[in-house]
Amino acid sequence: MTPPSMLDIRNLNVALLNGRPILRDVSLTVAPGEVRALVGESGAGKSMIGKAVLGILPRGLKVTSGEILLEGQPLHDLRPAARRRRVAEVAALIPQDPLTALNPVRRIGAQIVDPLIKIHGWARPAAQARALDLLHRVHIRAPERVMQSYPHELSGGMRQRVLIASAFAASPRLIVADEPTTALDVTVQKQILRLIRELQQETGTAVLFVTHDMGVVAKISQQVSVLFQGKVMEDAPTQAVFDAPDHAYTRALIAATPSYADPERPFSPVPQSLIAEMSAALAMEVRR
Amino acid sequence: MAETSLPTAPRARVRRLNLRLWLPLSWIGTLVVVALAAPWVAPHDPLAQDLFFERLPPFFLAGTEPGFWLGTDSLGRDVLSRMIHGARIALLVSVSAALITCIFGSALGLLAGYYGGWWDRVISRLVDIWMAFPPVLFAVLLVAVMGTGLTSVIAAIALIDWTRFARVIRAETMVQARMDYVDSARIGGARRLATLVGEILPNVLPSIIALLMLEMGIAVIVEAILSFVNLSISSDDPTWGSMIAEGRNAIHFAWWVLLFPLIALFLTVLSFSQLGEGLKQRFDPVLQ
Amino acid sequence: MNAQLNSRSLPDPSSTAPAPLVSIRGLRLSFPDQANKPLFGAAPRIEVLKGIDLDLPAGQITGIVGESGSGKSTLGRVMVRLLAPDTGTVLFDGQDIAQLDEAALRPLRRDLQMIFQDPMSSLNPRHRVWQIIAAPLRRFGLGGTRVEAVAALDKVGLGADFAERFPHELSGGQRQRVGIARAIALEPRFILADEIVSGLDVSSQAQVLTLLKTLAREMNLTLAFISHDLSVIRHLCDRVVVLYHGEILEQGPVAEVFAAPQSEITRTLLAAIPLPELDAHWFDD
Repeated sequence: MTPPSMLDIRNLNVALLNGRPILRDVSLTVAPGEVRALVGESGAGKSMIGKAVLGILPRGLKVTSGEILLEGQPLHDLRPAARRRRVAEVAALIPQDPLTALNPVRRIGAQIVDPLIKIHGWARPAAQARALDLLHRVHIRAPERVMQSYPHELSGGMRQRVLIASAFAASPRLIVADEPTTALDVTVQKQILRLIRELQQETGTAVLFVTHDMGVVAKISQQVSVLFQGKVMEDAPTQAVFDAPDHAYTRALIAATPSYADPERPFSPVPQSLIAEMSAALAMEVRR
Repeated sequence: MAETSLPTAPRARVRRLNLRLWLPLSWIGTLVVVALAAPWVAPHDPLAQDLFFERLPPFFLAGTEPGFWLGTDSLGRDVLSRMIHGARIALLVSVSAALITCIFGSALGLLAGYYGGWWDRVISRLVDIWMAFPPVLFAVLLVAVMGTGLTSVIAAIALIDWTRFARVIRAETMVQARMDYVDSARIGGARRLATLVGEILPNVLPSIIALLMLEMGIAVIVEAILSFVNLSISSDDPTWGSMIAEGRNAIHFAWWVLLFPLIALFLTVLSFSQLGEGLKQRFDPVLQ
Repeated sequence: MNAQLNSRSLPDPSSTAPAPLVSIRGLRLSFPDQANKPLFGAAPRIEVLKGIDLDLPAGQITGIVGESGSGKSTLGRVMVRLLAPDTGTVLFDGQDIAQLDEAALRPLRRDLQMIFQDPMSSLNPRHRVWQIIAAPLRRFGLGGTRVEAVAALDKVGLGADFAERFPHELSGGQRQRVGIARAIALEPRFILADEIVSGLDVSSQAQVLTLLKTLAREMNLTLAFISHDLSVIRHLCDRVVVLYHGEILEQGPVAEVFAAPQSEITRTLLAAIPLPELDAHWFDD
């Protein structure tokens, strides 16, 4: 018998208050220790899945139906306060923008240590030791000094390392990584991806990895959900998606990604006709 | 293969009646009409004294005389007629003083914010020095030196308050000047002044208008304060401030002499400040 | 810098490349470091460009690549003279424009166009799309009517119904195409494209790049294309220049540089790009 999924999303629908759908019947699972990529163009709703799981949907968006199960436990059975506590215990977020995700007037150390003490009930010395250890693990050379620093004293890559350390600090069993490398240089992006992979493999954490880059998908994930206008178009192992993509849209996304290794391969935008066809199909579904 | 624009469904164009715009506008509109037609709409001569009719209460109290809707003051002058003629002065002062203040202050703010360098240094220092004077004392001194009268009051307001415009507009201009569209205008061959007027000014204009409306409200208050201390125009002419000053002496037995001009003053100041916000919402293509 | 690295970094006079439209020699530029300004006296200066020699062949697309902080955007802004260098020459069609003042530059501006990284910030939010495109045309006495703006929109694949829109009513890819329309409407000889696809998702990126390549060929444009993405450069450009800490590490035709990168930095940049294909060993190095 298979162990329960770390995260199990069943027929999740999210809509704007005026009824416009943002996520349509999204179902997916993340097994313990697995990285699932959510890929799609801007406006596909890929970030909203992670936000719905963490209960941080922006104002004006509502879960209209569907279930989210965290380690087999349905979240919607819980009262809001209990739900928040449960999610905080199990899951953590690596945000997209390392510039705004850290409070500019507080020292780095306090920003990693405080949640450990307040949410997870650690003793201060233990929490501080843990923070130092994590900063060391994300290859920060002088963790003691960084603990005493303010965010503006660090580069973008360093800040993203701090955020990764902070996300992994409480040994979460699920991490939502929301485009964590979009704001970074390619060389820094590779270091950050490697870091997430290292820690993830070491700790066996499951990861929901949101990205728009098929290249990143190929390198970091084992499973992929391809999204278009809030609908999962293809859900398959990464291997299968790159060996033989099933859906025309997946093929189009791969074809739209340039590759220096293969300059003769024509690289072309997703055809307007395909987008029109898929939009029409989705519109039909809504009407029914 | 030209892409055509899809009908933008989510931008619902439900135009709700914008109360923030229309309520203030209707009050100020009434005021303008009444002020322009003062000699015809005022039931009595605002200066006519009639000691037989002194301190008549307003129409809804016992002991009133027909025709004196809001009662009379201690010299038997009709409160409503004096308020109507007072509105003339209030509007004349507020519109002209605010416009002069606005044009002068905004121009300096735009120049300092866009050209920087010594323009900015000179204007910013001037603003700093100016703001070190206590404003009311400054106004009283100015009027005392220049003599009472309408022009003195207007000049006093402009001389005190231009710093408000200069400061706010300078800061906004600096933000706008860093935007790429300013560089792009240079690339497109625009002269410096043309860039300031054609590109930056339209983006700062909503703030200028909001400030202008606020300033009109402030000008009404300043005029009332100067009237109150008898430094506005000749004490014969009815102004809201002088009415409040006179009504103060009789507040225990003829409160209406004080209260009605005070209400008019309050509504006018409130309307101007709300109108600024309302106009901003209504005419800003970005906010819509 | 060792001799081997430099072997390719100087323009080779004997090469068969077409004559350069833009020719840069000994370019140095520094900014005052306000963060370390002493209480009295001038701020120390940070050198951003440390002696750049570079030719942009006419009618070709030259990619400029480097990490953030390599000075690539600064170099670009000197080419279109939004910035003036401390020393060095920038020859545009034989004329040194390095120290020209704004008035002397204005007649040249028509030929020195730029497409910006952030199309939201580079399109004036208060102006309609057609006004944005028409304004430079009017300034250079090349017309500037709505009809001409619509013609330029048509060239970038946007219909006439976009003319009346405001920038915030467009998607990222559409905004960037308006930016391209504004630049090409002037029929310039040189265009600088500064990271113009870094904010777009893959499909819009492919669309914008394909469009730019077609237009460059049709109009025989000389293009400087700044990017941190070597895959994009490989597809679009004829030549590539690798910049590192304000110096040119290597330059040459894309095929050559990509086949046998000379500098360690170029190899690192190449290895850092996640290609859209499975590669179990990508992380091992």
